[in-house]
Amino acid sequence: MTMTEKAERKAAAENPPSEQEEVIFRAEKITKIYPGTVALDEVDFEIYRGKVNVLVGENGAGKSTLMKILAGVEQPTSGQLYLNGKQIENSSIIEAGKNGIGIIFQEMMIFPNLTVTENLFIGREKLNQGIVSNKVQREETVRILNQMEQPIDPDRLVGELRVGQQQIIEIARAISENKRILIMDEPTSALSNSEVTVLFQLMRELLVKGVTIVYISHKLEELMQIGDYVTVLRDGKRVAAAKIRDIDLSWIIRWMVGEKQGMFTYYQKRELGEELMRVEDITLPRIGGGYSVDHVSFTVRKGEILGLYGFVGSGRTELFECLCGCAKDATGTIFIHGKEVRSKKITGRIMDGIILVPENRQVDGLVQTMSVGGNIVLSSLRKYIKGFSLSKKEEKKAVAEKISEISIKVSDPNRLITSLSGGNQQKVVVSRALLTDPTILLLDEPTRGIDVGAKSEIFQIVNKLASQGYGIIFVSTELKEVIAIADRILVMSKGKITGEFLREEATEEALVTASAIGHELKGGAHA
Amino acid sequence: MPEIKKRNTNWLKVQSIVMKGRAFIALIVVFVLFTIIVPNFLNSTNLVVMTKHVAIYAILAIGMTFVILTGGIDLSVGSVAGLCAMMAGGFINEGITIGANTYYPSIPMVLILTMGIGTICGIINGLIIAKFNVAAFIATLGMWYVARGFAKIRSNGLTFPNLVGREELGNTGFPQLGAGSFLGISYSIWIMLVFMLVAIFVTKKMPLGRHVYAIGGNEKAAQMSGVSIDRTKVGVYAISGFCSSVVGLIIASQLVASHPMTGDSYEMTAIAAVVLGGASLAGGIGGIGGTVIGAFVIGILSDGLVMAGVSSFWQQVAKGIVIVLAVIIDQGQRRLQERVALTQQSEGKESV
Amino acid sequence: MKKSLILVVVLALVLGTVAAVSAAESKGLIYVITPSHANPFFGAEAEIAVARAEELGYTTKSVSHDDDANKQMELFETAIAEGAVAIILDNAGADATVSAVQKAKDAGIPTFLIDREISEEGIAAAQIVSNNYQGASMVAEYFVELMGEEGTYIELTGRDTDTNAHVRSQGFHDVIDEYEDMEMIAQDTANWDQNEAFAKMETMLQSHPDVKGVICGNDTMALGAHAALVAAGKGDVIVMGFDGSDDVIQSIRDGGIKATGLQPVATISIAAVDQADYYLTNGEFEKEEKQSIDCVLINAENACMYEKFAPIEGVTSCE
Repeated sequence: MTMTEKAERKAAAENPPSEQEEVIFRAEKITKIYPGTVALDEVDFEIYRGKVNVLVGENGAGKSTLMKILAGVEQPTSGQLYLNGKQIENSSIIEAGKNGIGIIFQEMMIFPNLTVTENLFIGREKLNQGIVSNKVQREETVRILNQMEQPIDPDRLVGELRVGQQQIIEIARAISENKRILIMDEPTSALSNSEVTVLFQLMRELLVKGVTIVYISHKLEELMQIGDYVTVLRDGKRVAAAKIRDIDLSWIIRWMVGEKQGMFTYYQKRELGEELMRVEDITLPRIGGGYSVDHVSFTVRKGEILGLYGFVGSGRTELFECLCGCAKDATGTIFIHGKEVRSKKITGRIMDGIILVPENRQVDGLVQTMSVGGNIVLSSLRKYIKGFSLSKKEEKKAVAEKISEISIKVSDPNRLITSLSGGNQQKVVVSRALLTDPTILLLDEPTRGIDVGAKSEIFQIVNKLASQGYGIIFVSTELKEVIAIADRILVMSKGKITGEFLREEATEEALVTASAIGHELKGGAHA
Repeated sequence: MPEIKKRNTNWLKVQSIVMKGRAFIALIVVFVLFTIIVPNFLNSTNLVVMTKHVAIYAILAIGMTFVILTGGIDLSVGSVAGLCAMMAGGFINEGITIGANTYYPSIPMVLILTMGIGTICGIINGLIIAKFNVAAFIATLGMWYVARGFAKIRSNGLTFPNLVGREELGNTGFPQLGAGSFLGISYSIWIMLVFMLVAIFVTKKMPLGRHVYAIGGNEKAAQMSGVSIDRTKVGVYAISGFCSSVVGLIIASQLVASHPMTGDSYEMTAIAAVVLGGASLAGGIGGIGGTVIGAFVIGILSDGLVMAGVSSFWQQVAKGIVIVLAVIIDQGQRRLQERVALTQQSEGKESV
Repeated sequence: MKKSLILVVVLALVLGTVAAVSAAESKGLIYVITPSHANPFFGAEAEIAVARAEELGYTTKSVSHDDDANKQMELFETAIAEGAVAIILDNAGADATVSAVQKAKDAGIPTFLIDREISEEGIAAAQIVSNNYQGASMVAEYFVELMGEEGTYIELTGRDTDTNAHVRSQGFHDVIDEYEDMEMIAQDTANWDQNEAFAKMETMLQSHPDVKGVICGNDTMALGAHAALVAAGKGDVIVMGFDGSDDVIQSIRDGGIKATGLQPVATISIAAVDQADYYLTNGEFEKEEKQSIDCVLINAENACMYEKFAPIEGVTSCE
């Protein structure tokens, strides 16, 4: 810790945010020890009534553990919880629920195979003589959704809803349970901007009704916008707390990251080379008519980072699927180094030099049962065959090379992949892709759900890769990220490319405007 | 604090090693127990005989391990073994009739043809599962019926007796496979050993093995990594079908007769051996070595219970209890692994 | 570790109950290998053999091959390894058993076959079987008599892979087919199984509701078929079985099933053990290899005189 930091920390500790606001819930000296690790170390945490109480920290700082303790999912090793000044025991999630505390998890706890109504009442069905009363449940659902001004059909299967709507269903469930304190763990990680707007509006309405919100997010701009109080955790300790009004973004980053480097390593100027990939007329029909990807054409040059921006549902994910060989019904032609790509399958496309680093690491990226090393070499096994068998030596060499090149933090590559933090897991997926010697690297939201420090490293890596001559297409829902990293930005909306901006021309406004073409933005213009 | 941490980690490591070796522990327990209870248990003839019995289950279970590692299941192995036994019996006693001519294949040819049939059954399983997206349980359940049905159709339900072949047809020698031995050890045991070594090599040293583990661990991620899911799946079911055919041949050869009900319910024994050996039915976890040990546990349990004079009804109870216990331990192991991973995660943080 | 302990305890409990049974002095170990005792016929057969052998001073092990020829082979190998002096066997298939018996013979252990034959002679020490053909013909004659020499009937046969199923069916038909007015309207296998017979009977009743008689290859199928008939309100259909199990004898006494051919299991099992004892004592075979023992027809008139596949001592009439 530097001297200034120490002083600041002292100041922050001595000046806890204004006493006049009412503390509804207080956690005191919470310590949580897992076998061999201290997740939380005497953490204090105050929650103010009717406010948005923000909790920030890097991955592994202990946010999720603290939330789980508040919600009764986990029990603290030591420390006390006070609700309205009275000591309580949240011995289970049900007990916490009785105390009026509800949690919306980072991984959504919805049942895609059940209807909206059924989801809302799962586990506490309204019974009429032992039989589920669908009518009562449905009426209640309609009432709550109307109250939230969300016109969602209560009989639809939740799996058919957009991600944003699914999130709203989760919130509706918490509301229908009359929760006084609502914990939201990364609720916006899967939402598009307009959906975030809707969510924030909803949160503000909840506040007016006296609901207290505890909010966790990696998206710092969001926190500044919606939060009232902020508490920063680092390495299992509470390092600072303040009123959002009194601070700025850099304050938060400073406390979160400590001495580590700042948020973005900015764009590095480099020479763009010859054309690597040309895509012509890529089209993917949508089930039920129309196109998910509507006759898209573009090129990527050597050493170029091409940003791709658009809302959820704009077709950017589908475009990636067409490129990487995941979409069976895709048509159109792709040229790599001027040669047409014939293969329609993932395996073939990888051989031709196109590989995708998927958005959802856990679902599409990692083989959780395998080691770090096993994951890294998975795509490039044929390179290590000596005679009939895989050569341990060659594998080891490749793994060690990538671990140092991409600076993956792991002491032993034989460890299970799940023992790494999110950022390092992402680097593993990137390493695997690089080992296939790709021409074009498709990065789908590579920074999703990882902390600021890791994000910054990922940006450095992407920059470095571009300088080495890879062509990179980079998708992100975060405007600032796209603008910070890309040489050129394509904006998609409704399956079409609706805007193309060189680095110099790209502004947030221009991108948003282009991404809304074909959409009518509804309401939500709340400041 | 650091010291407690260290000790904690070490203890976890010890625990996880013990859990991983659970099949081995069970083997030792069963072995010691029977040595105490059954007087003639520990003589060399009996040990060889038991190993011979184990070989049949072990070979089936080795094939099954590949399937289970991908997260699949093959219920058809017993039936396919039965079908293959009947096909081999038919080739030897009735030959192959094309039009008016009957051709009697030589014994090596019979073996190759039969193994081909078993492999084809497996390939069909694999194609149905991979290409038509049918759940493995259902596809192989279908094969379970079909193969058994054909086994009976082949002879109209009868047994092919006396599979010694005829000198003038040049197809003698089939019983040698079951009865013969090399260095005093039956061929079936040698076959098991060879299969085991080859399978270990494939799982540990070849891309196919790695792909099998990857698909079982996370099929979607494997696909995105460029692993050819379809080809790998067809491959593992083909391996399982091949192993089944070898088992069918060994049984027919040992009995010098092939019976249409050969291998009835052996799939359950094979699955049990794989699970006992530490594999997860969800896929991605397990290995050949464990499976073979699992087969030994079940085989020794079967023979030992017989020698101890336990009634066959109680034998079933005992086997059932052992299998379920093993799975309970498996769950414990899973939790333990999560904790180890957690510990490593925190350690990893510190070392940075 | 705790869990392995549980494993030890459970196994010890299961095995411990049996370990106590080892005898102090014995004339040697006799293995009794039969199909699953789930069928009372085989249960009785094994029980009687075991009782007789222990009476004569042998230790015994009674095990089941569950009609799996490979398992039977394994049991033989285990018996050989354990140093058994003789094997009493109700086998798992005429052809598939030959090699196992041969193996025992090579190891100097005589095998005395009961109930079912194998397809080769000169390997087993004895093949003592009930005369299935005689028994089946006898049942068939009584069947024709009760049917009044005319009418429709259904036949349920045993497992296709079992020789006795074919022999019995042959015995039935050699008699019944002589009568032109006897018409078989359906024939199917129920695999010796009670439940399968019940289901098959139900199905057949749909297409043949007016059937007059049902003749079955064994008693368990007869019980299944009869239960289906009673359930359909057709309890008066003439049903006959084969084996002479206590359940069917009881049914005959209650006026349900009409008759069965009783296999003299007790006689066979005891004869096998006695002959084994004779061989082990004198070093030579008492009788020739193939021995056939006639079956007895059980009907309402003599049903009360039999129990456990043997005549009840002292009971000579049903009045």
